[in-house]
This record gives sequence, structure tokens and C-alpha cells, in this order.
Amino acid sequence: MAMFLPSGLTPDEVGFLCEAEEVTVIPRQRLEGLELLGGPTHALNPPFPTPLPLWLALLLKKQRRANISPPPWLSAEALTHILDFETDERTAEVLSPAPALPRATSTAPLEGDPYLSLDSLEFSAPFAKNAATSRAQQDALPYHWLELGHLLLTHASDDFDDPDTIRKLLRDLREVRMSKLRKGFKVLGPGAGIKMNGVGGMEIAEVRGFVEGMVNGLRKINRSREESRKEREAEDRENGLGSGSYQDDEDENML
Amino acid sequence: MATRLRGRPAHAPGPTYLAYTPNGKKLITVGTNGAVRIFQHGSDDEPAIIDVTTDNHTAVVATNTFFLVGAEDGSVTKYSLLTNSMEEILVRCSLPVRDLSLSRDGEWVAVASDELEVKVVDTGDMTRIMHLREQSRPVKHVSFDVSGSMLAVSCSDGVVYMYSLSSEQPQLLKRIDGLVKTLETDAEASSKVAWHPDGRAFVAPTSTRDIQCLARKDWQRQKAFSGGHRADISAVKWSPNGALLATAGVDNSLCIWETRSQRLVKTFEDINHTILALNWHPTDNLCSYTNHNGELFIREDFVPSPSSSLLKIALHPAPMNNEPLSKISGNARKQADDRQKPDGVHRSVEDQYLDDLLGPDAMSEDDAGFIEDDDGAGYAEVPNGFGKRAAGAVNGLPVKRHQPYPSWRPQVQEAFQPGSTPWRGNRRYLCLNLTGFVWTVNQETHHTVTVEFYDRQEHRDFHFTDPYKYDKACLNEKGTLFSCPPSAQSQQSATLYYRPHETWTTRMEWKTQLPAGELVISMSLSDSCIVVMTTAGYVRVYTLFGVPLLVHRQKSTPAVTCASFRDYVMTVGTGPVSGDGTTRLLYSIENVRRDEICQNEDVLALPEGVELRSVFFSDKGDPCIYDTSGVLLTLLHWRTPGQAKWVPLLDTKMLERLASGKKDETYWPVAVADNKFHCIILKGGEEYPYFPRPLLSDFDFNIPVSSMPANKDDDEDKELAHQKGLEEQFVRASLQHSLQRDLVENTNASSAQKAEVSMMERGVDKVLLQMLAAECREGEERGMKALEIAALMRDRTGKMLEAAGKIASRFQRDILGDKIHQLAERRLVGLVDEEEM
Repeated sequence: MAMFLPSGLTPDEVGFLCEAEEVTVIPRQRLEGLELLGGPTHALNPPFPTPLPLWLALLLKKQRRANISPPPWLSAEALTHILDFETDERTAEVLSPAPALPRATSTAPLEGDPYLSLDSLEFSAPFAKNAATSRAQQDALPYHWLELGHLLLTHASDDFDDPDTIRKLLRDLREVRMSKLRKGFKVLGPGAGIKMNGVGGMEIAEVRGFVEGMVNGLRKINRSREESRKEREAEDRENGLGSGSYQDDEDENML
Repeated sequence: MATRLRGRPAHAPGPTYLAYTPNGKKLITVGTNGAVRIFQHGSDDEPAIIDVTTDNHTAVVATNTFFLVGAEDGSVTKYSLLTNSMEEILVRCSLPVRDLSLSRDGEWVAVASDELEVKVVDTGDMTRIMHLREQSRPVKHVSFDVSGSMLAVSCSDGVVYMYSLSSEQPQLLKRIDGLVKTLETDAEASSKVAWHPDGRAFVAPTSTRDIQCLARKDWQRQKAFSGGHRADISAVKWSPNGALLATAGVDNSLCIWETRSQRLVKTFEDINHTILALNWHPTDNLCSYTNHNGELFIREDFVPSPSSSLLKIALHPAPMNNEPLSKISGNARKQADDRQKPDGVHRSVEDQYLDDLLGPDAMSEDDAGFIEDDDGAGYAEVPNGFGKRAAGAVNGLPVKRHQPYPSWRPQVQEAFQPGSTPWRGNRRYLCLNLTGFVWTVNQETHHTVTVEFYDRQEHRDFHFTDPYKYDKACLNEKGTLFSCPPSAQSQQSATLYYRPHETWTTRMEWKTQLPAGELVISMSLSDSCIVVMTTAGYVRVYTLFGVPLLVHRQKSTPAVTCASFRDYVMTVGTGPVSGDGTTRLLYSIENVRRDEICQNEDVLALPEGVELRSVFFSDKGDPCIYDTSGVLLTLLHWRTPGQAKWVPLLDTKMLERLASGKKDETYWPVAVADNKFHCIILKGGEEYPYFPRPLLSDFDFNIPVSSMPANKDDDEDKELAHQKGLEEQFVRASLQHSLQRDLVENTNASSAQKAEVSMMERGVDKVLLQMLAAECREGEERGMKALEIAALMRDRTGKMLEAAGKIASRFQRDILGDKIHQLAERRLVGLVDEEEM
């Protein structure tokens, strides 16, 4: 195959993953719960708001069988608040924080880390529940914020109070956050990563190509030095002073 | 009739203005020459004259002790009425003053001049000035409302600016465009806003030479006084009680209008010059006006005799569209205005004397007799068969005496129809619930009713023209029920109309008329019956197809509201007066099919000062109420007579979303379903939902057990919050368990429902186990409490106590483990029963 695909996910693929997020719909007609491969869906019973996967919600929306109620963070008020945070000088270094993790469901019987117990399954982004339903946190952008906002504004703009303002705010947010990410690239080196909390899925997909290419290029330039270092390490290991496994390949995945 | 009419040459020919003092004793005129004249009311003597330094005066306002005169040289001068001399120059503008307006208390005067800004000056302290600067062109008129908190500014660009002066910084509330004509500031024609004395509305002359009334609440156009003038209007003034309106035009016309019908009462022909200012005498049937020729006219017997009685009404309501009819739509909230009640009559001393002699009710029937209910719109209250007024009318009752001798009367909760809203603009919701919503639009001669459903597949929305003006509706899965008040035009008495949604024969709609004189106060529709409460004190029950099942007189009247679920009917009526001067509400619940009374005239538990907002049944069939303090309550053990008690499910004031204190919102109850409270969030002090239809929101129940710790970030507080949450969960789970157990014990429950009871019981025990674990984690010293929690377990098989023992041993609380083990053993052999615990 002579097809060229950049490594990582394309925006379409990120959007596809985002369609598995649950959103809250206000059904317009009854529908029994469906037994799907991904798990059963909730029964629809108007007018009770029900969480459904985004792809199904969009399908029902197109058939005018449901309205989608936008998550609380996708409102003009909340987005303005987040944008204020992003443009504030005091927080110029960091992105706005991701939604808080839910309280641990599995209680550790005794002191210890609940995340370590075997029967617990704790979710964090991008698998956190209620990232885009009406119970979502109002003052934080979830992992799939850009894709989800875009999809909802494209297909369900009539369910928003003021879709144009929200569209504009999303665009502003995207630009200010991307510029923050780009600022971080200045310190990128062959072995260095940057720490950025709260980055969204689409933003990762967007910068991945550039960052990966650059890091690889830098590494090529530094190959001789690196090889000599590896040799030295090999020697050390032979001498019994193993410095552990050094995995520089992992670094580029940090972004 | 006017005995004589002669112009009193007050000033040199030219624009002349006048003002009465609020007590009506003095009349002050100003004109182009440098003198001010003060006439004594009721005296033909020569007026007092104050020679002043200014001339070309343009405005005058007066209180009982001083008056203010505005002049073309830009000064506003204060003169004392006690000494008839100048006191001070209050404010000086750079351009001619055009209009003055005084707040009712005389404390503030608004000055309109050819400058762009309006100055509001404290009349006692001229250094206190507010500036209103939003307008883009010079201002022609200013007008304070009755309370003095709002100022209407008519600008020469044809826009009326509404300012709120209640805060330190004046705020622009609204720009009303397209209401008044664009006029130059020195034009004879007027664009001045005249506030109706009841404070809810104002009128302004329009470019179409009508006088348009607008509501203060939503700035919507209300009724208009039209067709009286053929030229621009130069002066508009309400009579002191708002029952009449006098207007003058630049074509030398002068008209009197009746507020209620907006009809012309009289047009005067003998006017020779354009009237520039017009003033009613505060108490007498007398009107004075000044014209463009320096003359003052005092017209005695201004209003002709059949209408002159209107001047004696206490306060007439403003001409609004869809005025809530005091009796029929029980939804109208009390007006905040408690100075004087609309529709009351100033009664003479003789009447009061008679009242004292005959007792409070003897003269009450003819109070409202001066209003003819000729269009059937329900202005007049028809006494029902017992010569008493009906329940809903209590707030509309005329004041019996003058204010100095108020007779005490209990505060009665007004009747209402659950799920409906009062008129706003020309629309209202008749019914709003989880099935759908019914709304109506007033089209003057008829209404149009629209019924919309949430489930658009199951039901089809429908819409019809409604000549009967239905004012109440109920909607459920099976059909829609409407009721209309009696109409004088068609001689029709109150009618019920039921329209099923689907049938297997042709559509079987039916109508039934109530006996003459009976009105529907509240009604409800369930899956199997229709309940109607009427003004005759009857509760009428029909089947879905109109077969009357039952008629009985309600024990506690006046009726307030009702609700029904399947065969269970809950009626709420007014009971005895309680300590705080309000009447208690009493409710009864009965099963109409089995003819059994479940609860008989039990008290609806409401604390002092709190009123009932809504009554409905939850989807499981338990009665719920929502009160004005924002608490949702449900009735526990209501199927057993005498056992019922009201249990709070949710206090909306304690919701987390309100914790920040930033949000100002209230909740309009819709339903309880799926263990959630469904409501509409109302923001910004709204009381009722309006169009477009707001989204439903739902909240989980949260029984107000304890307050949540304020600091959420602290680890210790987090742990405490977790424990408090568990406690709340325990109370809630036990409540739901006992509700479900009641249901299963008293009805033919399905096996699924029975299974649910034991599931809920296990649910309660699980919460207790979590509480136990939390206590064990805290430490050894909490063992007593832990044991107490273990003793609360409901499970009788011993499994739960076994689990409790395991938890204790896992935390190495061995003593506790032993005690729990002993408890389990004693329970197993039946040594411990509930009484001992």
C-alpha cells in the first residue's frame, strides 16, 4: 500500500471515538432499551431526559425523534468563564483543569490506595462518565470538548440558546489553547517532554504529527551522541552496574 | 352641569401651565410673564401673586408646602407656599427647562431640559443630584411613577426611556421604541407618559393619536384609548383614582374616557385654544386647565352625572389585557399593592355607620353593583345562591371601611388550578405536566387553545379556536378536560368539556353544563375519573365518559384545589384560622370507586407564612405538595386513616447549585416521577414559566437531614460529608421502603412490586452497613454508635448482621464484633423484638 497516513489518529478518528461519549437527550417518542454490542441503552420515555451515546443521539436527532440537551459546560456563560481563565495572565502557563475525577467507588477495606485493589475499576479521562451529559461539571472542559462541541453545533444547533456565540467561544478557546501548547514546544528536545494537564483529544491529534516529527528529527541529529551513550551503558551493564531499562521511546508518547 | 365657564386671564398670552397641591387647596399657574399666581380652591377671590425674576416659565409642580417652577432660562426655582416667597434656585441648566416631575413624596424632582441629560434633584438638598444620561437627544417630558422608584423619560427621538431609581446608581430598565411620536422639545403636542394610579401600567400618546396603555411588568402593550382625537395629543391625565382619563388635543379638543371600557364619556366642544396642561382636582369633580393663551379654566362638574360616580371609587385597576378575573382564574397572585384594593368603593360616613349597625355582611352585596357585567367578562361578582361571595374572591373584596378602621379578616389561601399560570401578555398555560402542555392565546373575541405532547409518536398535537374561553384544563395520557366560566352573552352556564385522545369508535367528546351560578374552582383528571370543585361547595365526580358518579358537599370550604390519581381523590379546602391569622388548609383523600375515606379533613402541614404552591400525585400514586418556601413533601401512610404525616423529600433552598449564593432562582413544580422532582427553573424573580416553553429540569430527592460542611476541599470535611450523605441516604431509603410497603399492603400489588419491597429493605440495610464501616474506620471509641447502627438493621434472616460482624472483624474491632454476634443470636431466637429496641 502506498497510502500515506500520519501516525496517530486522524481528526475523523478522534471524532469517531468521541461519538461513544454519552450525551443527554430529551426524547420525543418512546423507544425500548436496545441491546447493542457496546451494552444496552436506556429506554426512552418522553419527556424524561436520558443519557445516550452521541452517535445514537445524533441519529435520533436527525430523524427528529429527540432533542439533545447540551452539557452544562457548553453554554455561553460557562465557556466565557473558562475562556477568562485561559486568557488570564496569572494562568498563562497552564491549560484550564480537566473535570474532577469522581469519588472512588471501591472502598479500600483498610488504609491503602483504592486504585490498587483488584476488584476496583476507576475511570479517568477519556473514559470518565458524565463528561457530556447534563450532569457534567460546568466549569471544566472534558477530554472530547472540541469534537463534541463541533458535532453538537453542526447537527443540533437548534437545541442551543445561542449557537453562534458558543461557536465563537469554542473557536477562541481552541486558538488560545493551541497557542499555549505551541509555546510549550520551545523547550522540546530529544529527551524532554512537556507537561500539560487538561489537553483534549483533538488537540493531541493536532500536535502529534509536528511534535513527533520534530522529536524524531532531533534524535536523528543526536544519534551519534546517543549511540555512544548506549555503548557506555552497555559497558556499564556488562560491568554489573545496570542503570535499569531506559526507554526513550516512551517520551514521545507523553504528548 | 357647568354653571358658567369663563377663562381667568392668569398670565400674558402664551404657554401657561398649572399644578394642584396634593391636598387640593391651592392651584398654582405659571406663564410667560414674570409672576406666579396661586388660586385658592373654591374661592373666587383674586389669586395671590408672587413676582418672580424669571419669565417664560415652562413647568410647575407642587407639594403641600412648596412648589417648583422651571423656566426657559434653565433655572428651577423653589418657592414656599407657607410664605408665598422664593426659597432658592434648586438647579440651573444651561438650556431651557422643558418639564418637571415630582415624586409622590415630594423628595425628588426630575428636570428635563434641552440638555441631553435628565437631572433628578433632591428637593431638600440640592447637592444630591442623579444624572440620567442614556438618551441621545434632548428630553421632552419626564414622569415619576406612583412609587417614585421609576422614571419615564420621553425623549425627542421618539423613545421612552425607563429608569429605575431605586438604587444609588439609576439604571436604564427599558427603551420603549415606537410608542411615542418624535417631537421637538418645544412642540405643543405631548409625548408625556402618564402612570396609572395603581402603579401597574402607564399610558402615552402615540403617533396614531391614540392613548396606548402599557404594562409596567413586561412593557407589553395593553388596551388603548383610540379614536377620540383628530390631531396630536397635548395633555393626558388620569383621574385621581384611575377610573377616568382626560385628554386634550392640539385641535382644541378635550375628552374624558372611561378606563374600564376605554370609551369616550364626553367630548367638550367649547375650547378655543390648545390646552397645554390639565389637572384633576384631587378630590372634587373638577378639572382645571391652562391653554396657549395665558388663560386658566376651572371646570366644575367636569364629569357628567352618570359617570361622575366613577370618581368615588377607591382605586380602579388599569386597563390591562387578560386581567386575571378575581373569582374564576384562581391563579392570580395577590397584588403587592396593599394600599388600597382595586374595585373597592369609598363609602360615605352613613354607610359606615350602617355597617357598624348591621354587622359586616349586611351591606356587602351591593358593593360591586355599580359595575355592569355587560360583556360577561366577569368584572362584577355575582353572589352565588347563598348571597355570599365565592372562595377565590377574597382578595378582591372591597375594603369595607376607610383605612383608619381596618376590619380584621383572616388571610385565606387563594384557590388555584395545579399546573396552570396566570395571563401574561395574551398567553397563559392552562396545564403543564409530564404528558404535555395546554396553552391558550387571547384573541379578544375568542381564544385559541393548543395542546402539545412530549411524546409526539403516541399523540398528535392539536389546536382549536375556542369561543367559550376555557380557563382551566387538565391533560393526561387518556384525554384533555377543559372548563369555562359562564358567559352572559350566550346565556350559558359553566361547562365541562372532555376530549379523549383516542377511541375505537368515533371520537366521543362530551360536554356537561353545571347548574346555573356554579363556577369551577379547581378540577382534576385521572386515569379513571374527573373531579370538579365548584363555588357551591360541591365536589362533583364524573367517570371519563361523563357519568356523574358522586356529588358531595365539601366539608371545608372555600375550596382551594384538588388532585387525583386513579380512583383516589384529594381535595383541599380552607379550615379554621390559626394563630398567625392565616387559615389552615385541610385535605381529604378518598377512594371514589370504593367510597372509602382514607384521610378525613386532616391538616395540610404548612409552617407559618408559607402557602401551598401545588398539589399533585407522584407517578407511584403518593400525594405530594410543594410550598412557597420551596419544600417538596410527600404523604406517608396515607391509606390508613389517622396515620398520615407529611415528610419532606427535597428542600430546594438547600440545593447545591444555590450554595454559591450567586444564583437567584426558584422552581416551579411540575411532577414527581422516577424518584426525581421535575420542575422548571425560573430565574430573575419570575414567578411563573412563560413562552417559549422552558426545559424541564429534574433534581434527586435530598431530605433535609443536616447541613453540609462548607469546605469541600478539606479531607476531614470530605469524610464528614460522606457520612452525612450516608445518613441522608438512610432516611430516604427507609422512607421509600415504607411508601412501597404501604402500597403493597393496601393494593393488589403485582409480584414485581412485592419483590421491590424486599429489595428496598436490603437497600436500607446496605446503607447501614456503609455507615457501620465508616464508624469502624473512625476508631474503637465509636463502637457504641456502630452497635446502635447494627441494631437498626431490618433484615430478620441474620445475613446482614453477619456481614456487619465481618466488617467489624476486618477493622479489628473485636469487642464490637462480639456484641454484634450476640445481637444476631438473640434476634435469631426472637429474644429481641422491635419494642425493646
